[in-house]
Amino acid sequence: MSIFDYFHNKKTNTASLAKERLQVIVAHERGKRSQPNYLPKMQQEIIEVIKKYIPIDNDQVTVTLDNSDNCSILELNVTLPDNT
Amino acid sequence: MAEIIVVTSGKGGVGKTTTSAAIGSGLALRGHKTVIIDFDVGLRNLDLIMGCERRVVYDFVNVLNDEANLNQALIKDKRNNLLFILPASQTRDKDALTQEGVQKILNELAESFDYIICDSPAGIEKGAQMALYFADQAIVVTNPEVSSVRDSDRILGILQSKSLRAETGAEPVKEHLLLTRYNPSRVADGEMLSVADVEDILAIPLLGVIPESESVLKASNLGEPVIFDETADAGQAYSDAVSRLLCEEVEFRFLEAEKKGLFKRLMGAR
Amino acid sequence: MSDTCFQLKGSVVTTFILELYTFSLSDFTLQLEDKINQAPMFFKQSPVVISLDKITENITEINLDELLTACRRFDLQPMAFKCSHKRFLDAIKATGLTLLSENALRNLTNTPVAAEASHNIKNTDVKENTQLHKSKLISRPVRSGQQIYAEGGDLIILSQVSEGAEVLADGNIHIYGTLRGRALAGVKGNTNARVFCTKMEAELISVAGHFMLSDSLREKVWKQPAQVYLDEQILHVETV
Repeated sequence: MSIFDYFHNKKTNTASLAKERLQVIVAHERGKRSQPNYLPKMQQEIIEVIKKYIPIDNDQVTVTLDNSDNCSILELNVTLPDNT
Repeated sequence: MAEIIVVTSGKGGVGKTTTSAAIGSGLALRGHKTVIIDFDVGLRNLDLIMGCERRVVYDFVNVLNDEANLNQALIKDKRNNLLFILPASQTRDKDALTQEGVQKILNELAESFDYIICDSPAGIEKGAQMALYFADQAIVVTNPEVSSVRDSDRILGILQSKSLRAETGAEPVKEHLLLTRYNPSRVADGEMLSVADVEDILAIPLLGVIPESESVLKASNLGEPVIFDETADAGQAYSDAVSRLLCEEVEFRFLEAEKKGLFKRLMGAR
Repeated sequence: MSDTCFQLKGSVVTTFILELYTFSLSDFTLQLEDKINQAPMFFKQSPVVISLDKITENITEINLDELLTACRRFDLQPMAFKCSHKRFLDAIKATGLTLLSENALRNLTNTPVAAEASHNIKNTDVKENTQLHKSKLISRPVRSGQQIYAEGGDLIILSQVSEGAEVLADGNIHIYGTLRGRALAGVKGNTNARVFCTKMEAELISVAGHFMLSDSLREKVWKQPAQVYLDEQILHVETV
């Protein structure tokens, strides 16, 4: 480390950004390994339907299937844009 | 009709995906509609390097199996609307790739794109062979290191004999050498193979020399191809390479070791 | 639209030709059995073309069914006839086997029989046809993992031979470039064969089975134009 590092602004810590991205994507992929195959298509079709009425992006809708002991829960998350 | 360029190497970890991302982005920045395809079925990483990992809904194999159409699978880059990505499948394996299927997709893409970049997986097995089979041009990514050079030579042999152009007797695939992770001071010390050494052994035209740079790791952390970082030496070197790919003559930079005086060392340069 | 059932492709088949001079069932059977026994595994299930071109003038009729049965008894598979004499054409047609044209047969016979078998069947009715003094010319670099073989002649390479590549020839090998891989000349036993290159950096050089590795080559001629030849069973490496 040089003397100038004391006065230098700490550069953006790209490693922590990378870690954040990885945590999200790895969790997502681990989850996906136990999901049935039809979910991506179903998600896309739901997005298309909502898009007819409200303008949203593809990543504002998520569909997940939770298989616990005696029941399965299909969870649908839709994040609407600010002014609806 | 699109130009199909495969980015391949034989050896793993030399910078194929970094290069595919940088050169694909570079071509789009110059106004050419470009798509980058990840051929590493089961181990996708192009989406991470491009920063679009959260927008992957459908992938290459879904399109191959008619589970989705191309428009549903293609991801438009947020930085440049001429740049698109076709991600690989993370759950299937290479058996899903068939020559007819891949050809069909490439033909469809060729109708609307200027450049199709095929990011090859490492090795010489099915995934790598499929990535290079339909290529018009090949960028052979090589580190100045013995096993990388030999593997690059091997992949050149395969390009010459197992590509569609070779099998039909058409004009051979145009080969380019891209030397990556080049460290001029180590070359000056005689510890690293020089550009001339590698050119002598591989005997193909040099497209570019990308210096070993911290900016490459930062770029993948951020999910932003290094060519978008205009201050980075690696980014600039990739930009020069894109120019040469477009047949412009550009002098080679970053080949000489920087002479660091005392002042620069105080400033924290390494 | 239904799926495509088949594809027609050009192909070359390696086969024997049995040139018949005369035919008497007992003699033929005895002689054939004798030949087959010299190398039984080699002849097992072999396709064979029967040529009637050399039949002596005064023979006007041959019992082709007996001939075919005799062949099949020893596991030869007659697949066609070759005959330019009109008097046998009807009999050939009756057997149901094909009559080959002049051109078809030339293609078949130009493929030389394997070296191993040639030792066993030197003086028989079967003829081999090897092409001599033909050179193979390669103008692109020979890459690691590739193997080039110039059968029946010399090999000329107008570029480099990479490390991990292998070039072989029955005759000489001339490399107008750097040799970093392996070069094997005179592979079928020609002790007069030589290897020439404009820059010697080879992994291995061999002439008629006598070889030298890069360690020994380094001591003699390295990174210079060189020739390698065999003299009294010893390999010599000299500058050219």
